[in-house]
Amino acid sequence: MGYDPANPMADRITDIGPPHYSKFHPPVVAKNKGKWLWHEITQPGVLVHKAESGDECWTVRVGAARLISTELIYEMCDIADAHCDGFLRFTTRNNVEFMVDDKAKVQPLLDDLASRGNKFPVGGTGAGVTNIVHTQGWVHCHTPATDASGVVKAVMDELFDYFTSMKLPAQVRIALACCLNMCGAVHASDIAILGVHRKPPMIDHSRITGVCELPLAISACPLGAVKPAKATVDGKEIKTVKVNNERCMFCGNCYTMCPAMPLADPDGDGIAILVGGKVSNARSAPKFSKLVIPFLPNTPPRWPETVAAVKNILETYAGDAKKYERIGEWAERIGWEKFFEKCNIPFTIKSVDDYRLAYDTWRTTTQFKYTNAIK
Amino acid sequence: MPTIEHNGNSYNCDEDGFLLNGMDDMNDDWIDYVKGVEGIAELTDEHHKVIDALREYYKKNGIAPMVRILSKTTGFPLKRIYELFPSGPGKGACKMAGLPKPTGCV
Repeated sequence: MGYDPANPMADRITDIGPPHYSKFHPPVVAKNKGKWLWHEITQPGVLVHKAESGDECWTVRVGAARLISTELIYEMCDIADAHCDGFLRFTTRNNVEFMVDDKAKVQPLLDDLASRGNKFPVGGTGAGVTNIVHTQGWVHCHTPATDASGVVKAVMDELFDYFTSMKLPAQVRIALACCLNMCGAVHASDIAILGVHRKPPMIDHSRITGVCELPLAISACPLGAVKPAKATVDGKEIKTVKVNNERCMFCGNCYTMCPAMPLADPDGDGIAILVGGKVSNARSAPKFSKLVIPFLPNTPPRWPETVAAVKNILETYAGDAKKYERIGEWAERIGWEKFFEKCNIPFTIKSVDDYRLAYDTWRTTTQFKYTNAIK
Repeated sequence: MPTIEHNGNSYNCDEDGFLLNGMDDMNDDWIDYVKGVEGIAELTDEHHKVIDALREYYKKNGIAPMVRILSKTTGFPLKRIYELFPSGPGKGACKMAGLPKPTGCV
């Protein structure tokens, strides 16, 4: 029976949750679950896991654009049908993994993937650059300061060699968020690309009464820059808000709560680069990423300034860091003043924290190195 | 600006069917209209109790109440509110009461 709009609650199924993942285990995974002995990366993009039973599970990891059509999903299903008994999985960074239970099945799978142009690039393992965790951008969201898919494509094109190889000191996680809601992983990634505004919101007094709960807009502001106010619309006095532009740092939270306070601006908006975050506890504790480049312009469709900045940081790190050292560990070991010098990034006042708990981020020691970063 | 005609009244709405001019435009015919689109068969006193609670809170505070406050003032647990308004307190009850569309990461 189809859905009946006149009787929406009839035959309604709800609260059934996702299907249990065990339904989708390849047989070799179902059999050896919880009994794996060791694993090895045999080449970029190919892993083998050895089980107590002697079984092997070979995994081939391929990049994906995350935003994909049903045609592409069908094509992935065809590949899984042809080589993997119809099983596949997606990783937490939106790569795709095809698994087979015999080494002899790996090469035919790789050949098949390679025969499909560059749709299914094999890689993303070990000490390389894997997929970029990213957000909606101009494809679907209403609060972005930059695009997601476009920037990610431009950056990954430039760093493609690092996806298909494992020649960095450690893995480098790149993430992008199109506004500082930071959906995803930018606050804790080795290199983070973040959409930022540089102009305060414009208040549409004619609409604000009907569409906005004013106390929410006021309490949305982290700096108390939004205050209640009165305005006259069509000769009638209405309740509205005003923004103290001197206090506004363009976070856009008030627009999230109040549709009558838009702040997107083609010239004002752009990208900030943060570096040095990580989430694992390996060797050092997890870290937040830190702002190193406050602004790069939005230059669609290829964002050359952003691509060059990311590549510069990555390659400086690759040439200077020790084995197993993540970007944040490297920067902390050499000192952030040396990070700025080696990467040839001008240090600006925007990198000096001035938000509430800022004091702890300033230098309370005489230990520093002379550098050319501060002129 | 889309307009909805119902029982001889016309209402300025957004694309989700929320009143653009807020509670000034709201009246009994609006309730009757939303009842149709939200899949509510019969409007009971309980429905009116929820709507009145929302409107009273909004007039007093300028915001829609938190779900817990709505439950506490009406005495209806969330489950009962969903039985009354299948789309929930935001999309169903607030729309019917003429409150602004809920915002944020919804």
